[in-house]
Amino acid sequence: MLSRRSKLAPLGVFIAIAFLLAAPAGANEFEQRTEKFIVSLAQQAIESLAKRDVQRDERIRRFRVMFNDHFAVHAIGRFVLGRHWQQATDEEQAEYLVLFEDLMVVSYVDRFQKYAGENLRVVKSRVEGDKTATVFTEIVRPEAGQPIQVIWRIGAKGEALKVLDVLIEGTSLSQTLRADFGSIISQRQGKVAGLIHEMRLKTAELKLPAKN
Amino acid sequence: MIASVRRKQPSRAILIVAALLILTAGCATAPNPADREATAEFAAVNDPAEPTNRAVFAVNRGLDSAILKPLATVYRDVLPKFFQDRMNDLLDNLRSPVIFVNDLLQGEIDRAIATLARFVVNSTFGLAGLNDIATDIGMEGHDEDFGQTLAVWGVPDGPYVMLPLFGPSNPRDTVGLVVDFLVDPFNLWAGNTGRDYAILSRAGARGIDQRAIYMEALDDIERTSLDYYASIRSLYRQRRAEEIRNGKPSANMPAPGLSQAPADRGAATPDRVMPTQ
Repeated sequence: MLSRRSKLAPLGVFIAIAFLLAAPAGANEFEQRTEKFIVSLAQQAIESLAKRDVQRDERIRRFRVMFNDHFAVHAIGRFVLGRHWQQATDEEQAEYLVLFEDLMVVSYVDRFQKYAGENLRVVKSRVEGDKTATVFTEIVRPEAGQPIQVIWRIGAKGEALKVLDVLIEGTSLSQTLRADFGSIISQRQGKVAGLIHEMRLKTAELKLPAKN
Repeated sequence: MIASVRRKQPSRAILIVAALLILTAGCATAPNPADREATAEFAAVNDPAEPTNRAVFAVNRGLDSAILKPLATVYRDVLPKFFQDRMNDLLDNLRSPVIFVNDLLQGEIDRAIATLARFVVNSTFGLAGLNDIATDIGMEGHDEDFGQTLAVWGVPDGPYVMLPLFGPSNPRDTVGLVVDFLVDPFNLWAGNTGRDYAILSRAGARGIDQRAIYMEALDDIERTSLDYYASIRSLYRQRRAEEIRNGKPSANMPAPGLSQAPADRGAATPDRVMPTQ
């Protein structure tokens, strides 16, 4: 009897774990955490980026901190490079990731508030497995027009939550970047070095203050 | 290109020009079939006429920066917001019959009724469509077109095509564009009564209205992308997929961690980015 029970014990533990993972209580908690995470991200964007008197260099510095704290920068960077990641040398990979962070920061410093600012409203969220969740938000535009649908894909890495992707009206940031970068690489005979060169030029251009 | 457009059927003439351009100009070089990943990427990009498409894109951008964008900028910055809103509401209302037909063809009866109700409310109380009061009272609108209907029927989009003047498209959506044009009651009325100017004015107004609305977004993409053409191509496809799903994001979301596995092979990231297409 006893030995039979002990044989079944691992199965029992497995079932218990499966139930725990599927339990709505745990899912709800994770859901709330991810929603709070997005709300606080928007709050930070308002506090550190919204003030108009802040110099652009300072805004870039602040946004860089936010971006690294709350986005899975390396994972996104690798995804965007796709199959070319394997083909790149170690030096190219390292250089690419540095440039990727830099390019994203200067690309989004001026418009991040549009997608995570004071008009952000969480609509709902959905947990997928125990490590990822999707938070559906709306950006209400007071000057009329329908609200913009912005979806945040969030991954858990230990205790920390990180944004994996942002979808604006159904268009994914990481998918679009992947198409963009992939096209540059194929125009440069599949060389990641060609992409790195273009990224450097673009980053330098975007560091200058925006005209609009 | 504009000169070659016959006034009677502008869409068709443009399509013929597009078809000729695609037939006569170069095609993208397919990668070596031995390179499986490159071949898979080539198939996924699905832009066999890329050199031609890029040439058409360059012409479109030239026309845009010379004509459409300046007009849209003046429209946006100089005309009162009130006027812009009335114009947008009017143009949206004129589209309602086509949306209604496509709702029906897609078997979306509830949405068809909603479109019809909006049309009735806005055409009467909304003063011939000038005021979208339907939205104000909670009857929000949606868009549909025959390209989406074909997609719902299971017709694949086919290769990417950059149409002169009309911009990003594919064979399915191009057919949709023509069908929507031909069944539009406003166009039928104007065509049958010799009021071609009305069709052209409406198309022009729509172009300026939409260009003004997307001005900021397009400027951002153009400014920050490395390859504007490739970014637009990707965005167009993603946007169309979203429109076909009627904005229901769940329909095409992949299971976590499973998606894009071949492309990311070996890149064992603890937090893999989840693509959506």
